[in-house]
Amino acid sequence: MFTHRLNPAILLIIMLGIGLQITFARSFLTNVAIVIIGLSYLLYCKISIKLISIMILSAFPVALGSWWSFIAFGTSDVWHVGWIYASRVYAYLFLGSILTLTVPIKDILLSLEKHLKLSSTFVYGILAAFNLVSRIKTQYKIIRYSATMRGTEYHLWNPGLYLRIIIVALNWSGDLAEAMTSQGFTEGGARSSIYHDNLPFWQWLLSFVLILIYFFFSFIVRPW
Amino acid sequence: MQTINNTKKGWSVKDVIFLAIIGIFFGIIYQVWSYAYYALAATPLKPYANDITLGVWIMAGPLAGVLLKKVGASLIGELLAAAVEMLLFSSWGAATLISGFIQGIGNELGFAATGYKNWDKLGLLLSTIGSTIITFIWDWFQNGYNEYHMGLLVTLFIIRFISIGFFSGVLVYWISRLVNKSGLGK
Amino acid sequence: MKNSLVIQNLTFAYAEDEPNIFQNFDFELPIQNFNLLVGPSGSGKSTIFKLIAGLYPQYRGIKRDGKILLNGQEISEVVPFERAQHVSMLFQNPTRQFAMKTTFEQIVFVLENIQYPENKIVPKVNEILETMHLNAFKDRNLQTLSGGEQQRVALAMTLALDSPIILLDEPFANIDSKSRIELLHELKILQKDHGKTIFISDHDISNYDGLVNHVYQMNVEKKKIVELSLSFLKDTLLEQHFAQNTLSSSQIFSWNHLGFKSGDRTLLNDSSLFLPQGQIGLLSGDNGIGKSTFFAALSHQKKYTGSILFKDNPSEKVRLGKWAKIVANIFQNSSDQFIRLHAHEELELSARHSLRSDYWNDNRIKKAISHLNLTDVLNHVSYQLSGGQQKKLQALAVLIMSQPIMLFDEPFAGLDIDSVKSLMDIITETTVDLELTSLIISHQRKGIDNRVNYELIMADQKIRRQKEF
Repeated sequence: MFTHRLNPAILLIIMLGIGLQITFARSFLTNVAIVIIGLSYLLYCKISIKLISIMILSAFPVALGSWWSFIAFGTSDVWHVGWIYASRVYAYLFLGSILTLTVPIKDILLSLEKHLKLSSTFVYGILAAFNLVSRIKTQYKIIRYSATMRGTEYHLWNPGLYLRIIIVALNWSGDLAEAMTSQGFTEGGARSSIYHDNLPFWQWLLSFVLILIYFFFSFIVRPW
Repeated sequence: MQTINNTKKGWSVKDVIFLAIIGIFFGIIYQVWSYAYYALAATPLKPYANDITLGVWIMAGPLAGVLLKKVGASLIGELLAAAVEMLLFSSWGAATLISGFIQGIGNELGFAATGYKNWDKLGLLLSTIGSTIITFIWDWFQNGYNEYHMGLLVTLFIIRFISIGFFSGVLVYWISRLVNKSGLGK
Repeated sequence: MKNSLVIQNLTFAYAEDEPNIFQNFDFELPIQNFNLLVGPSGSGKSTIFKLIAGLYPQYRGIKRDGKILLNGQEISEVVPFERAQHVSMLFQNPTRQFAMKTTFEQIVFVLENIQYPENKIVPKVNEILETMHLNAFKDRNLQTLSGGEQQRVALAMTLALDSPIILLDEPFANIDSKSRIELLHELKILQKDHGKTIFISDHDISNYDGLVNHVYQMNVEKKKIVELSLSFLKDTLLEQHFAQNTLSSSQIFSWNHLGFKSGDRTLLNDSSLFLPQGQIGLLSGDNGIGKSTFFAALSHQKKYTGSILFKDNPSEKVRLGKWAKIVANIFQNSSDQFIRLHAHEELELSARHSLRSDYWNDNRIKKAISHLNLTDVLNHVSYQLSGGQQKKLQALAVLIMSQPIMLFDEPFAGLDIDSVKSLMDIITETTVDLELTSLIISHQRKGIDNRVNYELIMADQKIRRQKEF
């Protein structure tokens, strides 16, 4: 079952290859096609309906705003344009979610390291930082509390807020990097790896075919 | 025993973790602010919401540039922040990463125009101009700005430049000055 | 091959414009021995460990002169994956030494770093997990383990690297005494039965008697470390508890059925107690037992069950901004406290927003500054002050705010005895004059014991008054 899933590296190529084109395409129907294909893949990967629904709802305000702003401020065929840009929001969303919802972060990075030459410094640096997310959230609260306790407040435009963030980032990145170095992690050095994944040739082919088909329909056929 | 090859001066794991942690902090800040953004973005005022807040979204790039003073720092800083946003903060879509890339390019061009010699006022000024222009061209296509009439476009462009100019220019400059004074800069 | 780790005539400073930390320093690490380095926090113990692990000067500082030789080769020039197979290290903050999410992944990461043969990695990891009795933690998220468990995983990593020299930099700072004794026991086995060289630093010398072969001490004046006689370890003072003074009967702060967890570990369960007003309490208990988390709960920074009451009113509905004017937290880490750049700005900000500006007039603030010996550094950047000066500055800045409830988390760490006494003077005076409710977490008892009115002890998910023990 798992072997029929697409490799994360392929998903990223599809995502970027089609994503960059969407920006220049002006078609409601191809956007809908992306949504349908993306949704089918998510269902095939047994992603919970609840998560998919949350995702769809979360993008609704932006899609609505896009649609509405063209109806309000558009200069040409406002209805068509409104629908193109509203559906585009969802096309992007599903295009990204076939990668972000179906593969764990670690596998995405390791696959990119193996197949797309992402350096191990980035792979393990990012993983190390991601492990600290909940501590970083706590730290952000401490930063805010330290100010309220002193009768003041940090706002988005206070450079002092960012100084505090930078100090934490400096200390913590230093600690982690020292630890990793002492554990033998060598920037640019050779490593062995137990990560193995399936990337048969047909998946490369599939990504190129999908990108080409999208190009053909969006820029040559140009449906509504 | 094998010795270190000290000849190349690339990215260290410390730099990567440093920028990723800053990216995560930004993710947390954005979460708080995104409610306001969404409230505005669900109305016809969405383009305004986009352009007013743009400076905040792209701050991570120039900040990375002035802190690390490295070729590619702005682009990679912005890409990392976008990757954090996409992978950790439920922005599942492809647009996050692609916009991050485009915004990073805009910032990077500014610093590149100084030959990577000026990370101060001039570098930041050019970086804000670079990202204002590049992101505006991008939105011309991606967010259909070509469909708006001239008056709105001019207004949006000015709003965008003010937003980017303040958050990614002035504020980043203040932050870097503060970091320098604190003696913690590297 | 016989290992050796030798320091020759080392002179080292943190930065170009700073004084030397070590000067003409010679040292040879006794191989296959159990070695201990003692000294107060902030005296440079970490620096020496990071130097001999080859991490400095790569990550910090400049080496002005001398050599650090691993088997005759300058260690900072050895590539990390080779170095790690000779010298590995456990760090002071156990949570910030893992790149991966789970125990299994982390040990795999370490083996991959040294290019261990791919088909042998998984069996090797399983073998190590078995040896270290870590099977139950194999797939657990490392960030949710207790400090003791995290250090066991870190020790397992050194076994994976198979490095003959194991450095441990204050490894017990966040660890309860039971885990500490277990870990020390395991280290002794590694040294005696497996021929490992152990070098450990600690500010607490208890439990080492009979275990170690050499004791060293940081000598800050001579800028080097000196060996002490092993009898030094026998001087361990037994921890004494305070006699209970008469508790003030007036109280404005209490909690009911309070409980909280860290991950899935329950730290406090169904605790109910009040704190007397106008008095100072000491909160003691093992490392890692949850004292700082308790402070976080009291200041609404951490989720809890039950209720915290101020003037008999439950506080759960009080806005965070308002609660911060009632409960103040003096953080363990000074840089978490500073919100301005220079020391004087920090104090001016507090003076401006003080809840008791009637009391904290210019004259009183000036006196406090000079009592704490901070007068000459007021124009300095707070982050560049010495550790001790930062501690005093942050405590004074919050004391001037004068919230009715003051929670001090290790305010005396790294302070010399005179500083401890003068800071305690100001804490006492403010608490009494303004009828504050103060509670202090402190390992340091010298210089404060005669000023503290009562002691609370946190143990077994409970907080009790000392006399109930």
